[in-house]
Amino acid sequence: MSLLIYGTITSIILALYAAGFSLAYGISGLANFAHGALYILTGYSVWTFLNQIGLPYFLSALLSVIIIGFLGFALYWGLLLRVRGVPLAELIVTFAAGIAILELLMWKGFYGIQYSLPLFVRGGVKLGGVAVDYQRLFVIGTGIVLVVLLYLFVHHTKIGLAFRGMAQNERTALSVGIESDWIGSLSLAAGSALAAVAAVVVLPLGVMESAIGYEVLIYALAVAIIGGLESTPGMILGSFIIGFGQVATAKYLGPKWMIIVPLVAIILVLAVRPSGLFGQFKELEERI
Amino acid sequence: MEKMLEVKNLMVFFENALALNDFSMAVERGEIVGVLGSNSAGKTTLMNTISGLILDMKKKEERRGGERISVLGELKFEGEDILNKKPSERVKKGIVLSRERHPIFRDSDVVENLKIAGYLHKRHEVKERIDLTFKLFPHLQGMKKRKAGLMSGGEQQMLAIGIALVAKPRLLLMDEPLLGLSPMLQADLVRAIKNIRLAGITVLVTEQFARTLLPIIDRGYVIENGMLVFEGSRQELFDNPEVKSAYLGI
Repeated sequence: MSLLIYGTITSIILALYAAGFSLAYGISGLANFAHGALYILTGYSVWTFLNQIGLPYFLSALLSVIIIGFLGFALYWGLLLRVRGVPLAELIVTFAAGIAILELLMWKGFYGIQYSLPLFVRGGVKLGGVAVDYQRLFVIGTGIVLVVLLYLFVHHTKIGLAFRGMAQNERTALSVGIESDWIGSLSLAAGSALAAVAAVVVLPLGVMESAIGYEVLIYALAVAIIGGLESTPGMILGSFIIGFGQVATAKYLGPKWMIIVPLVAIILVLAVRPSGLFGQFKELEERI
Repeated sequence: MEKMLEVKNLMVFFENALALNDFSMAVERGEIVGVLGSNSAGKTTLMNTISGLILDMKKKEERRGGERISVLGELKFEGEDILNKKPSERVKKGIVLSRERHPIFRDSDVVENLKIAGYLHKRHEVKERIDLTFKLFPHLQGMKKRKAGLMSGGEQQMLAIGIALVAKPRLLLMDEPLLGLSPMLQADLVRAIKNIRLAGITVLVTEQFARTLLPIIDRGYVIENGMLVFEGSRQELFDNPEVKSAYLGI
């Protein structure tokens, strides 16, 4: 029972890590390697608003999500525009931006026990004899709400439909007046904002440090590679495979083996089915 | 009549290869104009240049340090120079291209395909346009929820034209809409093109073979190796011995 509950929670956390990365890649083919850095930067931003400026928690979180979303947007127009369409250069640019952010945080001394975000609500419940805190339940709720919201957004708004169009056939999208740079930058903004939302709900579960940025990137990559870089069901399945794999590994082999799971999964999938379990493209070999 | 579209001395280079060589043509409001030419004669380049897609290709090639694309000459829509206007601006003015080989959004269903195409327009306009599409292609109405990638070539072509129609063209560019279709479907589509004109839309259409298309066009241009080799009314095209042998197979 505890395997089931904590497996689900871990999986949803992984899906939250990966959602923004997959979204931006699925729509505009941009692999945003600054994803993890933006994630942890959100934590720092919320912490600063909360403790240095003294804003209420909710407002700090909301502002941070907006700022990080805008940062993704700015990253596109400021750095990516010149190399857009050259995958390797895009990857290097985003990775460099990510490292710059992470090292900057490290240099500012962003580590240690004082850097943690408060839980939204204290306490917990027993589910089938397993103790679960409210924060983790909140994470599950956020995951589900996000999936529903994303679905509605993508299928029922103009921008969402333009995202769909651009993802499927760029030239045809262009010929009906959808602009690829505009949609590309919006998709990166949306992906970054999703990373920020994940950070806001997940980070209160532990202490923050900039190394988490690398970890989140690895998990996002692992999930995306296993599920196929452009497929939403694949992303969710990928999260559950790794999530349950990790919790089972922790239980039967010990927690120190947990990090092995995503890496082994990446190797297995790349060896057997390089485009991912749900992927349609064979681009992966070139990208990673 | 005032010229709706005016192309003058258009030259398009891909690196040093000349895809369009000193090409001039015009379309007047309310006409159906045909451009006849064999494979790689420059028809698609012409369509991409008029719709502005070539500017996007050029930009991307420049970024990746690939082929150098140059576009020279004059391109006017309703008297206004549009040679350097972005594709989206041209769509706003009413120039919409339906690309060759029925390019649709494969993972979306029919209705969603049409909705995506309404990006620049208001919700009620999009609805009207979708209704117009279903009126022109009643066949599509019965498959609203069908995934576009699973439809037949003919159905996809109808949908591709529908996508262009929802973008509200005043000048509709159709790049080889009849390519790869059965004679019966070709006849259906030709009828649809006639009805599109009746809906007040000017049409510029390219084709490799003249037999199906010639009866409905008002005027036509023949392009070979990027150059204009003949232009004339439908009757003049019918009567020209070279056009007859090359594009009618008589």
